[in-house]
Amino acid sequence: MIKTWLGLRRAGVLGINERNLRLINDYNPRRLMRLVDDKTETKRLANAAGIQTPELYGLIRSPAEMRKLETLLNHPDGCVIKPANGSQGNGIQVILGPMRGGWRRSNGQRALLEDLKFHVNNILSGMYSLSGQPDIAMIEYRVKFDDVFDPISFGGVPDIRIIVLRGIPFVAMVRLPTAESDGKANLHKGGVGVGLDLVTGRTLYGMQKGKTTDIHPDTANPLSNISVPHWDEMLLMAAKAYDVTGLGYLGADIVLDKGKGPMLLELNARPGLAIQVANRMGVRPLIEACMKADTEGLNAEQRVELGKKLYREHVPDHVLV
Amino acid sequence: MTSTFHTRLLAFVLTAIALTIFGIKVFQYNYPLTPGTQTTTWDFEIYLDFDTANQPVRIETFVPSNSDTRRVSQEQYYNGAFGLRLETDDDNGRKAIWTYRYPNDRKVLRYRARLEGETQRSPLPAEMHRPADRAPPESLNDLERQAFLVWSSDMRRRSADDDSLAELILQEIFVQKDADEIEALLPVLPPPLDRLTLAAEALQSQGIRARVANGVYLDEARRRTEVQHWLEYHVDGRDKRYFIGSDPKEFFTIWYGTEEMIRADGVFDFEPQVSIQPIDSSASDVMRKAARADRTPVELFSFDRLPVTTQLVYQVLITIPAGIVLLVFMRQFIGIETLGTFMPILIGIAFRETALLNGLILFTLLVALGLAMRFYLEKLRLLLVPRLAVVLIFIVICMAVIAQMFNSANMRMGLSISLFPMVILTMTIERMSIMWEEYSPEDAIKAGAGSMLVASLSYLVMTNKHIEFLLFNFPELLLVLMAACLLMGKYTGLRLSEIRRFRELAKEAEPK
Repeated sequence: MIKTWLGLRRAGVLGINERNLRLINDYNPRRLMRLVDDKTETKRLANAAGIQTPELYGLIRSPAEMRKLETLLNHPDGCVIKPANGSQGNGIQVILGPMRGGWRRSNGQRALLEDLKFHVNNILSGMYSLSGQPDIAMIEYRVKFDDVFDPISFGGVPDIRIIVLRGIPFVAMVRLPTAESDGKANLHKGGVGVGLDLVTGRTLYGMQKGKTTDIHPDTANPLSNISVPHWDEMLLMAAKAYDVTGLGYLGADIVLDKGKGPMLLELNARPGLAIQVANRMGVRPLIEACMKADTEGLNAEQRVELGKKLYREHVPDHVLV
Repeated sequence: MTSTFHTRLLAFVLTAIALTIFGIKVFQYNYPLTPGTQTTTWDFEIYLDFDTANQPVRIETFVPSNSDTRRVSQEQYYNGAFGLRLETDDDNGRKAIWTYRYPNDRKVLRYRARLEGETQRSPLPAEMHRPADRAPPESLNDLERQAFLVWSSDMRRRSADDDSLAELILQEIFVQKDADEIEALLPVLPPPLDRLTLAAEALQSQGIRARVANGVYLDEARRRTEVQHWLEYHVDGRDKRYFIGSDPKEFFTIWYGTEEMIRADGVFDFEPQVSIQPIDSSASDVMRKAARADRTPVELFSFDRLPVTTQLVYQVLITIPAGIVLLVFMRQFIGIETLGTFMPILIGIAFRETALLNGLILFTLLVALGLAMRFYLEKLRLLLVPRLAVVLIFIVICMAVIAQMFNSANMRMGLSISLFPMVILTMTIERMSIMWEEYSPEDAIKAGAGSMLVASLSYLVMTNKHIEFLLFNFPELLLVLMAACLLMGKYTGLRLSEIRRFRELAKEAEPK
């Protein structure tokens, strides 16, 4: 136990306590958190800054607006229903498209209008929102994800998380859905996290449920050495997210659409620490470096370059493939 | 970094203040550090069980009262629908008077209190130190008065001083019982009150202050204890008591005079019951201190000045911070997942009503039932708030059924459940079921178990006699707890659970 503890200290592994105290408390003022907790607000800010997000089809703000639901759902390519204030992917329903008598869910099952109305009602009554507050349901474009991750994902949408400190992207991973996670890319539901080389955008090793793994549990394909397309564009989106929100410590969740390229799904003001396991390294050295770095007058592009430089300097060799 | 310094400074100052007051209390005023080291206290209960017949009921009973020499605390009256009035009469004592105009069926009234007993060495109340006026009792007719005077002057002649006079009178009345003149002088009262009254009157007539005292002997736990009568008198500047038979080690004076303890009008099938039970409680020392007349400046920081009923509330309340410190430790250092932030503390407080094992069983049972209900309701597609309400009502029904079941099985556990806070239960069920769906059953069960663990530990901490004693008698220690929380609020190290979670990373960092 003590040996492990010492090892973790040496590896610079960050714990929740330290994240809460030194990163979230110090860099993310409460009044700014609202901007990312409410996804409609995030979307508005991002679009204004030229960051691409999935197109919003419509909002349902109250049960009285429920009759709009049917028309909002009727896109031949499907759509996604999500709570505006949800967290950790809770309450998200993916609709692949209309089918006879209802809609096809991402798991292939049919959903009746009644089922979806119930789901929206749950969202409105605050079942998925952070503090149980009444919420808004968003219906938006369903991302048709790029097939680059096809060999190493199972159903659902793989997404890329980039963590940004003071506007400097410094660590990233891709989250892959598995059979166990039911098409969701959330790591705590059993998704696979794969570390990314911040400089090249190539996948490194993976982890699932806190254990390292080199292959995808469902497809058995190796996880490493896959290049993420549009990598620099993604880093830039993440760096710009700092400019539009002002949050010093944030996680940008980005998906890659087949036709439209990278899209910002959501921002997270309290990104978790599993990214350390996915990257097989503690992030403290990188965090210290980002804290010390002089970012005065740097634009987003320059901060991306700074992030790459710091990454190259501080990442231990064993991490890179 | 300045905030860290600030926090540490604040924690240090708080601790220093607390320990200074603590030190003064312990070293200068010799406050005891452990509970129940000196005396036992006694649980005293008057239990009145009777039938009524739709006519006005009036029940009077003498109840223990505080004085310079004895101490009552934590008084509780169970009145039912009755009106309660307390009447204090300096000559006799304190009376509780219960009234009700049109009662029907069987009723129960209860009075409970904690007593700290008196011993032969306890001083008599101050009014016993006033001189008595020498006069023969007024209740006698002329003939009896004559006889009384003859007898008492004979006593006086045969004695040397007041002390021996008192001895002689008591000897004459209680030991040589066959003396005819004594028999003739006895007032019409049930024994032993008749002789005691005569003795008191005889002593008073000789200028020795005396009176009949009534109360209970505190010897062992008794479900039905007899009311006892004795004589207290003040002779030659000394306080004395005369007990018929052998002296009790400890006793408690409830009232004076020859009135009956309990008087009831308008009732039948009346069964009064007075019970005593020894408790080795920390409260004994609290009461001991409270009984002291002199007030020291440090006692501003104690609860002794509050009414006893309020003290009882604080005795519970004051231990909650100890549970909270434990919770903070479990979360920040161990990293145990719980449902809600302070939910485990609330559950822990709820366990006070049920005791630990019963509480755990009941809680698990009710949560399981509630969860099952919640999953069934999921099928009906209800809105959130009405669904919560249905679960709440279901829990009330379950609790009622369980209470019935245990009551018919004659187990006390069923009765305590009614006080079990059900809102806590409902919230737990709702949180757990959301976690169940959104994360996984394992996560939900893990968090539920974590909550139970923290709740049990906090219960053990909060009901620990020593912790309760320390915090109640030294409330300044709360500042130390606060300082501990301040310091824990600045802990940035890994949690125990994270050492496990990240253990793979430790291997990576090993020097090759």
